[in-house]
Amino acid sequence: MSTKRDAILARIRDANSGRTPTDHPGDFGGWRGDAGPTAPLQAFVSRFEGVGGEVVFVDSEAKASQWLADFAQPFKSVTIGEGVSSALHPDLPIALPRDAPLSISQARGAIAETGSLVMDARDGRRTQLLAPTHVVVLSSENIWETVRGALLTLAEDLPAAIGLHSGPSKSADIGQVMVKGVHGPGRILALIIGNAPEKP
Amino acid sequence: MKHSTPSDYREASARSLRETPSVRASVGSATRTFDAHRVRAFSEVEYDRWKDWARDTKTHALTHLDTYLAQASAQLEARGVHVHWAETAEDALAVLDEIVERHGIKSAVKGKSMLTEELEVNAHLETLGVRPVETDLGEYIIQLLGEPPSHIVGPAIHKSLDDCRALFHDRLGTPLDADPDTLAAAARDALRAEFLAAGLGISGGNFLAADTGTIALIENEGNIRLSTSVPDVHVAFVGIEKIVPRFEDLAGFLQITARSATGQAIGLFVSLIQGPRTPSEIDGPKEVHVVLVDNGRTRLLADDIAWEALRCVRCGACLNICPVYRQTGGHAYGWTYSGPLGAIISPGMLGLEKAMPLPHASSLCGACVDVCPVRIPIPDILLHWREKAVDEGLAPAAETFGSRAYAGLAERPASFTAASAALRWTPWRAAGRALPILKGWMQERSAPAPSKKSFRQMWKEGIE
Repeated sequence: MSTKRDAILARIRDANSGRTPTDHPGDFGGWRGDAGPTAPLQAFVSRFEGVGGEVVFVDSEAKASQWLADFAQPFKSVTIGEGVSSALHPDLPIALPRDAPLSISQARGAIAETGSLVMDARDGRRTQLLAPTHVVVLSSENIWETVRGALLTLAEDLPAAIGLHSGPSKSADIGQVMVKGVHGPGRILALIIGNAPEKP
Repeated sequence: MKHSTPSDYREASARSLRETPSVRASVGSATRTFDAHRVRAFSEVEYDRWKDWARDTKTHALTHLDTYLAQASAQLEARGVHVHWAETAEDALAVLDEIVERHGIKSAVKGKSMLTEELEVNAHLETLGVRPVETDLGEYIIQLLGEPPSHIVGPAIHKSLDDCRALFHDRLGTPLDADPDTLAAAARDALRAEFLAAGLGISGGNFLAADTGTIALIENEGNIRLSTSVPDVHVAFVGIEKIVPRFEDLAGFLQITARSATGQAIGLFVSLIQGPRTPSEIDGPKEVHVVLVDNGRTRLLADDIAWEALRCVRCGACLNICPVYRQTGGHAYGWTYSGPLGAIISPGMLGLEKAMPLPHASSLCGACVDVCPVRIPIPDILLHWREKAVDEGLAPAAETFGSRAYAGLAERPASFTAASAALRWTPWRAAGRALPILKGWMQERSAPAPSKKSFRQMWKEGIE
């Protein structure tokens, strides 16, 4: 193996010989147009809803628990991520992620710039992906303004995989008609614990 | 499965227009939609600054490619990833042999990856007794049809809704008038069983961040996240040019690629993969392999003009805008990469002799360079390959003869005047069909007859 590695690296050096190495241009600024800045939480909600994600605000863990109990009622079973507070577990039979119609995960945070929920592998990857309906618990404190800001924090503690989930699963591969829930969850809800932003 | 090679381009494009007019309609509609979304998405940001940043970051990465690849490889190995280096497609495919045998793999789920098309991974898996299952909905459709993808972002855009209805009716038993939701649900059910049964997940890699060894993957369906999360073994095939220097640089590339490809702020699912599951994780693959693939890329890097094409992020924007691609779709190009992108990288990766006449599959209108998010000078590279083809004697003999004859005449004013006078008094249509170059050109076009007087004559007499 190392010989192939050496051969490829040698060919690269050879190809680049005589070419002036250029500098890295610096940090990605996420330069925006004239839209101007919006409060991060509000920007996250607007982007996430804009692509079909749903958002629920509750101002305490007790309220979140109540909301989840009501929401979970029609479902037969649930799969729950490792990081979800036990106070939030609805009173439903626990099923394997492959069999559960509903899943509940804990987000590590969310990104305003792209409307993304940051999902950590340590919470359980199958729970994040297999159920048709996915509720993601998020603290309103944990919002990064930009993708770059999120990546800088995440880099300090990287699990095997991180998923950025920015809406329900979608495809337009059949005759260019948009359908939801192709492989991943077709319904995704961000259950945000904290104060809702004021409507503009 | 390949239906043609680049050298069949003229015939394949003509056949596509003649025999499957629905392809032109489907491709035209899909590419116009993609492009309209791109335009809207970039109106929200300072696009020129994004493009400059992306170009400069990629150029920096390419001019330090050896350093960054070594860094990425060391990071991956530190996280327990098996790193393989493949000079050729054969080297890359051989990585699968040992994995398949050791784990007794029977089926493999695949996320969409142009590199695995390039390497012909599916055919190789079949020779190993492994059933490859494409899980992207578009890839699944064309796998059922036994066709290669026709577009790097929307592999089945050449198929209409009715084509899909007929196919799914035949293969999955859905009604002939099923709506797209019903069709997608049938595919989801069929593929969900495959995800849970497969011992191996295969992906490509959109980017590889050198400082953390992170493989970044962009998608909308969730099938790549599933392919890289559910099976016990994950193999990622990554082209060596996919390197970006820093994890934080992904912030720019994830967004610029999504906006360019589909007009989204970001792909609905992004995977950032560092390695196999750690002791603090309850699921995810136990074994991860990353195959760093050359297969012609260093050859392209060595070309002083065409190396800039290695900045490509595979967004497909140049395909969507290209008036030539829109007529035929991707199959006519005869290789994995079609459109303007295919026309500039195929000659460098396969060798110019195998890629002719792709550099001619363009009117040089330049729309592609305007939309390219990493500012690849596509028309310059097309001209470079055309010139090289003439130098190497690969251009059609008639074209070379015609250009040289014209050059000879243009340098001799007396001969030029005599020759142009002769041309004006020749029976034009009959002669055109007999003359080299013009003959081919006039087969599909009509041209006005030349004026009886030359421009210089009219100039002397005074133009009204």
